[in-house]
Amino acid sequence: MGLHTEKNLPVKAAASKRAVWRKRVRDNKFAYMLMVPTIIFMLLVHLLPMIQGFWMSFLKLNQFTLGKYLKAPFVGIDNYVGLLFNSDNPVRQGLNFAIRNTAIYAVIVTIGVMVMGLMMAMLLNRDFPGRSIARTAMLLPWVVPSYVVGVLWGFMWQQNGIINYFLVDVLHLYAEKPFWLLGPNTIWAIIIPTIWRGWPFLMVIFLAGLQTIPEDIYEAATIDGAGKLRQFWNMTLPMLKPVIAVQLLFQIINNVYSYNIVSTMFGNGAGYPGEWGDLLMTALTRQSFGYWSFGSGSAASIMLMFAMLMIVGVWYRAFRTELNAQ
Amino acid sequence: MSTHRKRSVSSFLLTSVTWLIVILTIFPILWMVFTSLHSNDQILNGITTFSLPKPQWVNYINMWDTVNFAVYFRNSLLICGATTLLAGTFAVLAGYALARFDFPGSKLFSMSIISTQLIPGIMFLFPIYLMFLWIKNTFGLPMINTYWGMILVYTAFYTPISIWIMRSFFVSIPRDLEESATIDGCTKFQAFYKIILPLSLPGIIATSIFIFLTAWDELLFAWVLTTSSDVQTIPVGIRLFVGQYNTRYDLLMAASTVVTVPVMVIFFMTQKYFISGMTAGAVKG
Repeated sequence: MGLHTEKNLPVKAAASKRAVWRKRVRDNKFAYMLMVPTIIFMLLVHLLPMIQGFWMSFLKLNQFTLGKYLKAPFVGIDNYVGLLFNSDNPVRQGLNFAIRNTAIYAVIVTIGVMVMGLMMAMLLNRDFPGRSIARTAMLLPWVVPSYVVGVLWGFMWQQNGIINYFLVDVLHLYAEKPFWLLGPNTIWAIIIPTIWRGWPFLMVIFLAGLQTIPEDIYEAATIDGAGKLRQFWNMTLPMLKPVIAVQLLFQIINNVYSYNIVSTMFGNGAGYPGEWGDLLMTALTRQSFGYWSFGSGSAASIMLMFAMLMIVGVWYRAFRTELNAQ
Repeated sequence: MSTHRKRSVSSFLLTSVTWLIVILTIFPILWMVFTSLHSNDQILNGITTFSLPKPQWVNYINMWDTVNFAVYFRNSLLICGATTLLAGTFAVLAGYALARFDFPGSKLFSMSIISTQLIPGIMFLFPIYLMFLWIKNTFGLPMINTYWGMILVYTAFYTPISIWIMRSFFVSIPRDLEESATIDGCTKFQAFYKIILPLSLPGIIATSIFIFLTAWDELLFAWVLTTSSDVQTIPVGIRLFVGQYNTRYDLLMAASTVVTVPVMVIFFMTQKYFISGMTAGAVKG
């Protein structure tokens, strides 16, 4: 008898687990009803294209097979092999430069917006005359559309433009007016406007974060003899670390996938800045559509996605404690 | 006394540095407006004085004639407006479900919402482009060069992040409100509709503005999925403008100013809601 019940126990537990699960589904009917529109939409315009993208990365999809859509010839991992090892692959052209530039761009912009954002948040968290005007004014670049940022800065970077006027005629930093939209300087012509547009948002986020830190802990630290710098390192930064962690990830993702500023700043809207300023998104779009090479393009975007997943993995390991504490 | 003086000196320095950065920050925007009031000859010779000779308001008239900006404007307003309405509605419904109910699948859904942000847009671009072509070839239903094609794509893209913003907003509203309402005889839907929705208006406004501004800024998909000026949006229009009239900086700067103004107006009218809504999610997690 005892043996009998023991045998049945796991079965019973599983059955009751299932019953609990069913009850939870039934109890949450309302929640599911709220989710239905979103789920349908995300399945159709997120999951479906993604699955197609995976499938397309194994197909020979070019101008001749385009009409066959998903029935184009299956070529296995040829697209991946071609991208990695065949330097004649059209989508591969200039990709090395684009990867290098994107890495430099993403790192410098991310650090730039975080440092500038935090610095301005701390400066604007002080009490000084005209503070609210300064705060509002600082938000302006954030509201300028990114395609306007490309056009506007492209205009300002011109050889006889206003930036060279300041650098050469006013500050005398260079003997001759440098070219900013040509050669190795190009990367700065992209980085600086991106930082300019990006830091106000970080400033807003950090300001909100700073305001959650109680004033009295600074007073206590001052009485204990801790200098401003020590207070910043030992109190402000650790308190802001969860906010910094989240924004760091969003910034890296945004900057690696950056497209608009480069595409409106260069080549009269054609968006090719040359090997010193080309980014991954502009390069991949241009090459894939230029050569109607959608199989390779899909393979490249999937590899990019996995590279990003690895970055997220590293990020998660680095900030695990802060993220779980929230 | 000396420490006091030292402090006031450093305070003065910090304030000066702050204002210097503020001026440098807004300078490019002022420069855009300032340039737009010059004739093209003056611009090509290089403007180096900050005094305005005679405002060339005519640029602001000519820009509408040279390029069909009125149509681009209409298209952007229509597409971004409809996207905001749709994605905003989805975000309110799903955000509420995720904030309040612990239902089977809610964790999976939250995870997938966040992971959509990792996917490069280009990964959707090729499949969606080919899928749109296929739908047209198979069913005769045009998708490329249509409003609904663009609205569909934008709604799908901006829904996940909007759900996340709305969710953090709903989380910040105390649960007791619905609980006491249900005790008073309200259904779950009535509690949501009559009590929570009015309270979450600031969050809804913030999310809507976020969606609108993001859609207003989108170039890559609009560039690929629209080829006829009947449905092209402002970013595409500006990019085409640069391509055709690359030396007409007078018109280009006027157009840049005009497309920035609506965004600024919307933003500053709703700044209070927008910032509190955005930071609520970012700071509280």
